[in-house]
Amino acid sequence: MAASVPRKIWQTLGAIKTGVILLILVVILSAAGTVVLQRPVTEADEMQRAYSPYVLRLLDELGLTDVFHARWFVLLLSLVSLSIVAASVQRFPNAWRFFARPYKTPDESFRKALTSHNLIPIKDEEAALSVAERVMQKAGFRPERIVRENSFSLFGERNRISEMAVYIVHASLLLILLGGNIDALFGWRAFVTLTGGQQSNQVQPQNGSPRKLPFAIRCDGAGQENYADGTPKRWWTDLSVLKHGQTVLRKQIVVNDPLVYGGIRFYQASYGKTGKLDKLVLTATPHGGGAPKDITIALEETLPLDVDTTVRLAEFIPDYVVSDGEVYARSNALENPAAHLVVESKKSGQAINVWLPPIPGFEQNASSPYAFDGKDIQMAYFTGLEVSHEPGQWSVWAGVVLMGIGLAVVFYLVHLRVWVVPVRDARGQLKLWIGGTANKNKEAFEQRFCKLVEQIEAELKISVKVGAEAPVAALAGK
Amino acid sequence: MARSATVEQQPANTGATLVVMVGLGVAFLLFMAFLNVVKSGNLLNDSNLLYAALIFYAGAGTLYLGFGITGTPSFIRFASLATWAGLLANTGAVAHRWYSAGHAPFASIYEMLLMFVWTLAALTLIAEKKYRVKVIGTVTMPVAIVGVVLMQLLRTEVRPLVPALQSTWLHVHVTLAMLAYAACALSFALAMMFLIQDRMKTETFLAATTWFTVATYVGVLTRFEKWGGLSVVAWNPEEKSEVFLSQGVRLFVVIPDLGWLLLLVLAAVAAPLFLYLVWRKTHDQGLLDMANRAVFLSILLQVLALLFFLLRARGGRYGSLDADGLFSTSLSASPFILSGLVGGIFVSLLYLLLLWRREDLERMLPSADELDRITYKTIAIAFPLLTLMIAAGAYWANRTWGAYWSWDPKETWAAITWLVYAGYLHMRITRGWRGRRAAYFAILGFAVVMFTFFGVTYLLPGLHAYA
Repeated sequence: MAASVPRKIWQTLGAIKTGVILLILVVILSAAGTVVLQRPVTEADEMQRAYSPYVLRLLDELGLTDVFHARWFVLLLSLVSLSIVAASVQRFPNAWRFFARPYKTPDESFRKALTSHNLIPIKDEEAALSVAERVMQKAGFRPERIVRENSFSLFGERNRISEMAVYIVHASLLLILLGGNIDALFGWRAFVTLTGGQQSNQVQPQNGSPRKLPFAIRCDGAGQENYADGTPKRWWTDLSVLKHGQTVLRKQIVVNDPLVYGGIRFYQASYGKTGKLDKLVLTATPHGGGAPKDITIALEETLPLDVDTTVRLAEFIPDYVVSDGEVYARSNALENPAAHLVVESKKSGQAINVWLPPIPGFEQNASSPYAFDGKDIQMAYFTGLEVSHEPGQWSVWAGVVLMGIGLAVVFYLVHLRVWVVPVRDARGQLKLWIGGTANKNKEAFEQRFCKLVEQIEAELKISVKVGAEAPVAALAGK
Repeated sequence: MARSATVEQQPANTGATLVVMVGLGVAFLLFMAFLNVVKSGNLLNDSNLLYAALIFYAGAGTLYLGFGITGTPSFIRFASLATWAGLLANTGAVAHRWYSAGHAPFASIYEMLLMFVWTLAALTLIAEKKYRVKVIGTVTMPVAIVGVVLMQLLRTEVRPLVPALQSTWLHVHVTLAMLAYAACALSFALAMMFLIQDRMKTETFLAATTWFTVATYVGVLTRFEKWGGLSVVAWNPEEKSEVFLSQGVRLFVVIPDLGWLLLLVLAAVAAPLFLYLVWRKTHDQGLLDMANRAVFLSILLQVLALLFFLLRARGGRYGSLDADGLFSTSLSASPFILSGLVGGIFVSLLYLLLLWRREDLERMLPSADELDRITYKTIAIAFPLLTLMIAAGAYWANRTWGAYWSWDPKETWAAITWLVYAGYLHMRITRGWRGRRAAYFAILGFAVVMFTFFGVTYLLPGLHAYA
């Protein structure tokens, strides 16, 4: 008795009813997961706005606010997998027997029960069989001679694999679920933001501490291209992978084309300006006369203008506003920029504040030995990279390809079988029994079978050349 | 031959009246659509071609319906001719759209509807020619017409592709989706016809169709406001977009009195259902006759409500309960209400068609067994397509976001659709489900497909913002 309990469980798991009930549960619960707001993709205060505290607590406790990561959902999917395994294992031996040892010599009861069959009177057994063999060969059935005591019969078939197709589909589904499980356990997703020239070997998962990579990634450049109407057309980032200080891989990534190194993928996720200055290009013209020259200066950088004079970029405000006698930054957007330069003379030790544009009350532009003109503002950019590691995805893709093949076989390959057996009827007349069957799409097979019989009949007539045979053959049709 | 001869001799009094009525209704719809279209000057642009397609599809739909009612064989010839013409115009619209957008037309829900309608028309012709299911257009053409009318209302201007959409895999994904969904629509139509051939009682159809219309009107009337108004989403005609109060919160305006009218229509469509339920208890045949007359009356009222809605929502400025001032609205802001109202009329008309001309229909349709088999065949086409569609979508998502499956609502519902059809196939193959139960399953499958296609986009939030 004790041994029968696990057996019963195993049987129940494999039953079609269990499978259907489990699938209905998956359908209902995942539908619930699309209707109830889900914590991982919703802001916390939006959750609070949508539900009353009591309802929210109830939903949280039931796990309905994060259905797809809840333990019971994982358990349910595992049960579905188990059910598929059990159903396949229980049914497989029979199917395999059918597949591995095809039924080649039909006995009398089988011959009687078969729906599609026909009897053609013949004179010579050997000749008729070789005619039938030729016709079957032409129709693509690859006939096989099955030798009996003193004569032989024919067996031909097509697409025997069709009998195994269901197992191919089920195996592919298991592969996909396996891949998904591997990724749920060992996969991770993180984010890293890099500015131009910056490198990093740490990425930040959505929650938890930063993850260290076995290599570093460096941003060599990034940019955005726009359509004429200003909507973004393309974001790109030039990336280098560095291992022990050596560049091992370079690639320009765009939105649909990631960089892959060591199973870790880097995706272009976002792009933007940091609101910080990278370089400022200025034209400096000496007041005392002389050629104007262009300088490129970064924040807090000091550049010599001539032997005596240096210039330093003390401040850069992307969007300035003057209020209560102070210069403030209103935002980080490059709206209304102002630059504060300090021009120093070594000889006099004098420092003059130059503001571009001149802000009254702050600027001493007139006393500077140089006049400055802004030529270009190069803002620092950042590129946001989505980083993911999905070791199970190959299992998923393999499963998808296998499923495509499996479904094609399930729906479009039909296992066709044809037997040709010489028999003697009740009056002792020699006849050719032709029978056939298909495992699906039986109507189409019926037509095909009729055509095959007609062809054999026609060929037989040609080879026998007996005019009186025709009405007999017609009578023998049923 | 003898069969068609008897059909031709049938008098067509009620049928002719109905054809005229439907024709007038369609003509009115076309006129409304024309007002939208004629504003653009260029003659051969995609919206005018689409307008031509609408005319042909509507003509085809009427002729299919006329064939169903009167059984005149020449109707079916003209109907397929009209479908061919519509398909041609539709192809032109797709080609023009492709040319002017510079990318395959799969980027927005407008473009996808364009492809869906195209596939549906093509499959209708295939079903008609190859499988000889002649009246299939009676069901599929109304779906196509609703699709085209919706397209007239949706935003049509070509928008440049955002970076995430610039991928061949997306095109593969969407093409497969449209093919699969159109095959599902066809299997739905076939399942309905199976139920007719399977001698399902006309009363049951009465119950099903009235439940559908009652549910539609109850759904619309969830927007019922105090003092009999109906609130609809406000529309900004300059920006051609809905008006938002804040991120994700739409502004509603109240169209006065429309709520009362719709409430009246709800009563009218609920009346046959009520009479049917009483009949179930008492079995008094008179009640059923009354119910059928009530359906006829409810169609008139439904048309009235549609007219009223079209007139009020097309223009005018209305107040809102949430903000001061007057705001305008547009049919584009309420695609669901509109398709609900149009859908209700079609469903009721189809019921009347069945009620009046059931015997002719039964004679013209293939046998129940045949229909059952063809339904299975279309699902055998739809299911692999659904599988590949999900796979292509997963592959695209993996290249774009680094995750092949993120359980967003559209993905989840696509998986649910897949599971429903997988259930159908298992029950059919291992349990030998044939006939009625299989047909119900096919109908359920299509309902889920429609929810995945429209419902998820408009009702549930997610990553699939483009569609």
